Amino acid sequence: MITPETIARHELVGLHVQVTESTDPTLVGCHGPVVNETTNTLVVRDGSRTRQVPKAIATFAFCLPETDSTVFVDGERLIARPARRTERTGGSQWQ
Amino acid sequence: MAIAAERIERLHTFATEAVRAGEQDRARTYVRRARRIAERNRLELPRSISRFSCDRCDVALVPGQNARVRLQDGHVVISCSCGSHDRYPYR
Repeated sequence: MITPETIARHELVGLHVQVTESTDPTLVGCHGPVVNETTNTLVVRDGSRTRQVPKAIATFAFCLPETDSTVFVDGERLIARPARRTERTGGSQWQ
Repeated sequence: MAIAAERIERLHTFATEAVRAGEQDRARTYVRRARRIAERNRLELPRSISRFSCDRCDVALVPGQNARVRLQDGHVVISCSCGSHDRYPYR
């Protein structure tokens, strides 16, 4: 279940996102489902185009599918390889 | 741990949707990520995922779209559109 507590460690692909703040004004307001993720960026399908949004300079508003609520996440917190974000606060005993 | 298992499930549903939408490369990145998460968290991939993803090209397999499922004597053959086959026994 994706909750505000787990979202930074959970899968972001498929979530609806809106860029609420950014140092790059052309990115603000860009919204749509997340289609891909890299270490430093999120790829958002904004209408007919896809936009690659750097995590470091943006604040994101994610729509949570289960509860229909919105969570604001500072992009800084998401910087990590996609598969490794899950491991950041324990979980695996081998870390 | 629970988060890793949920992520794998979610990635697989989105990979299948991507194949249905005709975006096989996007499906491949999702399947590869699901496998990577399973590997790093020492989880076994659920059987529904390991059987319905291609071992050779990593795409999610959707019968009727990019996969063919055929029953033969004692085993079922799932073929990917890339040409690889997987055989699983049945009784």
